[in-house]
Amino acid sequence: MKSKKKVSGFLIFTWIFLLLFTFWTLFPFFWGIITSIKSPGEQYSTAFLPHFQFKPSSYAWQVVLGQAEGERTKQGLRNSVLISSLSSLLVLFMGALAGYSLARFRFHRWKNKDIAVWILSNRMFPPIAVAIPFFLIMRTLRLLDTLPAIIMAHVVYNLPLAIWLMIDFFRELPEEIEEAALIDGCSSFQAFLRIALPLSLPGIIAVYILCFIFSWNEFLFVVTLSYRKTMTMPVIIAGALTVRGLDFWKVSALSLLAVTPPVILAALTSRYLIRGLTLGAVKE
Amino acid sequence: MFKSQERARAIKVGFIIPGLSYLMLMAVFPMVWSLSLSFQRWKAATASPRVFVGLKNFYTIFFEDSRFWNSLRFTVSYVLIVVVIELFLGLLLAYLLNEKIRFRNFFRVVFLFPMAAPPIGIAFMWRMLLNPDAGIMVKIMNSLGMNVVRWLTDAKLTPFVLMSVDIWEWTPFMFLGLLAAFQSLPVELYDAAQVDGASRFQTFRFITFPLLLPIIVTLVLLRAIDAFKLFELVFGITGGGPGSSTESLSYYIYTVGFQYFDLGYACSLSWIFLGIVLLISNFLLQRLRKEV
Repeated sequence: MKSKKKVSGFLIFTWIFLLLFTFWTLFPFFWGIITSIKSPGEQYSTAFLPHFQFKPSSYAWQVVLGQAEGERTKQGLRNSVLISSLSSLLVLFMGALAGYSLARFRFHRWKNKDIAVWILSNRMFPPIAVAIPFFLIMRTLRLLDTLPAIIMAHVVYNLPLAIWLMIDFFRELPEEIEEAALIDGCSSFQAFLRIALPLSLPGIIAVYILCFIFSWNEFLFVVTLSYRKTMTMPVIIAGALTVRGLDFWKVSALSLLAVTPPVILAALTSRYLIRGLTLGAVKE
Repeated sequence: MFKSQERARAIKVGFIIPGLSYLMLMAVFPMVWSLSLSFQRWKAATASPRVFVGLKNFYTIFFEDSRFWNSLRFTVSYVLIVVVIELFLGLLLAYLLNEKIRFRNFFRVVFLFPMAAPPIGIAFMWRMLLNPDAGIMVKIMNSLGMNVVRWLTDAKLTPFVLMSVDIWEWTPFMFLGLLAAFQSLPVELYDAAQVDGASRFQTFRFITFPLLLPIIVTLVLLRAIDAFKLFELVFGITGGGPGSSTESLSYYIYTVGFQYFDLGYACSLSWIFLGIVLLISNFLLQRLRKEV
């Protein structure tokens, strides 16, 4: 009896804590949604029940997506999608090749370990330290405010982590399958293309999505390398900050537009992402 | 493992070349350029020419630039505080959710949201919540009988505002990493502990914690390196102010580089920043090197 009582006390504490934490985690998102369907006049009110406490209004969404600023928002969304998907594709291409090479072959002059750790060390650089020379390079190449400049920057930003995770994925595949393919007359390139690559597909998709999210959320490179044509969603949100302060309804709508795609992607692939976010430091 | 040694070699080198040369070209080369700039005075905003000044920039940083020291002090204390709190909260959450509890997957997914959303969007949402005139947080506190707190205008409070948002955003990182670690712990030890009649606390203190320690160290270092780069929250919530109470290193360098266009000086600052990060990440890389 006694121990049963103790356990239930523990359970009650657990649930209270979990529910509080969930509330604290979700509340800002919830408030963003509520604010985005309030009319500008009501943005300072604490009402939170649509239809009961205030009349929901599509004003914010009409401004953000409609005639007034719709063109800019759509351009931002388009840029975000283009930059994130293309840069992640490039990362995947180079990352899979390098990861496979480091997982399956042994390097001699520099050991595999040294190469892998050097690659990862690029991930630890503070972006601002790279942003200034990047800005200068792109200015010299006359690439400022173009998609290639930002894509190139995001590839550097994501490649190290991708290679690191790919090494892990390829190493977990049993080598014997590829050896069997080689005996059957495959070249080692075919073994990579037809065996290793398809088998590690779940991992590869997870890396793609992780890179996509990082690139989608990245702010510093975009804000330093673009000023008009190539702004992504995060920078467009930042642009809503004017001298007058913030129009909360507008910021809410824009933020929700920027927040939703990565959050949905993350929710769909949460099982794989956790490993990527923790750099594979925790083997699941 | 391959039949033809030479073809295998061609593939091994050929495969790694695109990625490696890309990093050389786009990561190493800019850094080298930045290093050479850090010995120059180059104020791009004025017409003054680029001049080689040797170590003068670094001398200025160390002995005359109080804003640098301020931002360093702020960033370091910020990192120390958020990492400790995030570790503690994450550990508690992971411990609780390691029990067989309902909706475990639901919690894991919900806690992923703050990390997946763009930090600048997060920053603005919080700026809205904390706005002294309109913010729901202030209204709630008022209705509970507390005074209006000038979150964003009192230099004593603003650092803590940023820290709270960071904790909101990144405690889940600690939680998820630790939960995965919890689930990899050997069950046998716990059965043995239970047979021996160890209490919950004793089991945690003498079995769980020591086993988790290596992963805790890794997660703490990862989070610390990341928190050190603090930029978006400052940009979006406080703009470094009031005064320079919340100016992080990244934000200070951004200001010098992209608002004053004092490019040489910004590069020198970057290299000092880089040095500090390399020092911290060295610990992490040495740990990871063992595991590769």
